[in-house]
Amino acid sequence: MNTTPLIEFEEKLGASTGEFAGWTMPMSYRGYKEEHMAVRNNVALFDISHMGRIIIEGKEEELQYLLAGLVGESSLRMYGPNAFLNDKATFLDDVMVYKLAENRWLIVTNAVNREKVIDWIRRNSSLNVTDATFDYCMLALQGPNSTRLIGNDEMSRLQFKVNVKVFGENVFILSRSGWTGEDGFELILKPDAAHQVMSKMVHEKVELAGLIARDSLRQEMGFVLYGEDIDESTNPVEARYWLYSLEKEFIGREAILSILTSGVSRIRVGFKFERNEKIVPKKDGSITVRDKKIGKITSATYSPFLSRPIGMGYINSTHALFGLKVEHEHRGKKYEVKISDFPLIK
Amino acid sequence: MSDQVKVGNYVLLKDLYYTDSDEYVRIEGDVAVVGITDYAQKKLRDIVGVDLPETNRKVSKGDPVATIESVKAAADILSPLSGEMIEVNDELRASPEIINQDPYNKGWLFKLKILNSNEISELWKWEKYAEKIKGD
Repeated sequence: MNTTPLIEFEEKLGASTGEFAGWTMPMSYRGYKEEHMAVRNNVALFDISHMGRIIIEGKEEELQYLLAGLVGESSLRMYGPNAFLNDKATFLDDVMVYKLAENRWLIVTNAVNREKVIDWIRRNSSLNVTDATFDYCMLALQGPNSTRLIGNDEMSRLQFKVNVKVFGENVFILSRSGWTGEDGFELILKPDAAHQVMSKMVHEKVELAGLIARDSLRQEMGFVLYGEDIDESTNPVEARYWLYSLEKEFIGREAILSILTSGVSRIRVGFKFERNEKIVPKKDGSITVRDKKIGKITSATYSPFLSRPIGMGYINSTHALFGLKVEHEHRGKKYEVKISDFPLIK
Repeated sequence: MSDQVKVGNYVLLKDLYYTDSDEYVRIEGDVAVVGITDYAQKKLRDIVGVDLPETNRKVSKGDPVATIESVKAAADILSPLSGEMIEVNDELRASPEIINQDPYNKGWLFKLKILNSNEISELWKWEKYAEKIKGD
């Protein structure tokens, strides 16, 4: 089991911890609803040190061939979300690519896939791969008021800076990015600096948020989580995850072309339950129409913003109709569910 | 205010009875007030909903009578005693998070009129419940 280097400090600050993808991480502090709404209306700070951070060096053509999405020319810019697919065009991982310099990139992977991805890149290329995950922490400051704390208004979305000072601390990477649907920044920095930045933000009365709120925020936006909504049995077309670029060669391209010709049998959609139903639907739960199964739930939560259960999952193409009212049975009771497009909160 | 004990991160009250399935029981004359322990609410984390029992019906010890839904799990609440369901905490329907905030007072779930007071001696005292959650 891995642990964020900040865990003792976070527990002192009131974190309730739990396991995610083999890491002990803060799951919540005051309560996920308060933390969630702080991100939507104000600002909150997450520790996301569990994410994999790997440095890639070598020929750009080789990296372009491994990634389904195009990695652009400009340095100090993020290219993503992007993905590594296998030759059947199913997901090995969805990642974020940071171009640090010519022939040098940082790739942020899902925690659960870090070792698999490193191994796969080494087997399929001559690129030099360094696992920097344990050298750094990663923080995410998210919410409409995040610029007030960080400054850097001039930096546009998906741009980043290297070796800058934030609250007087050295930060390796400061990017305008996040996975919550709000404006915000992500910081990659040494554990000592992360400790100081967190401490100073707490002093500034910034709400601390855990991974439960991060999960409910991304679900409201319709953002996927690897292992729940995508995996090695799902492809980007049925997931409606438009990150591939057919104008270049990459592993999985032929399979995507063939999927585009044949079409898909299921489609990833969102689910909205009725307001004030107070349940958390279960992963793998069935979605039915007149008792006939037409799909299943892959993620679900109770949305603090909409005051109702929400989720996402796959529906047979024959029934993937936005606005269609379907059903979900939970603990012996039937609930009405509306098939909805993403984001669920707009 | 009754005496509190802390076992790890979890608060126990000395004047309550407890069950192996993490309910607490406060005896008030011939009425039992039932809720879930601080340990249980912390394990469940953020509670989003409660399904409360109907009143004016008899239940037996061990019957599943309520459900608590959290972001982490759904938990069946078992009746710790046999009795007649006389009152439920209606406030929890709109604000189930009260259980997280104050499990032993405002977060109570239901009240039973006790039918068989011999069953009380089968409930756990706080020392035994502390043994169960120690080190968790």
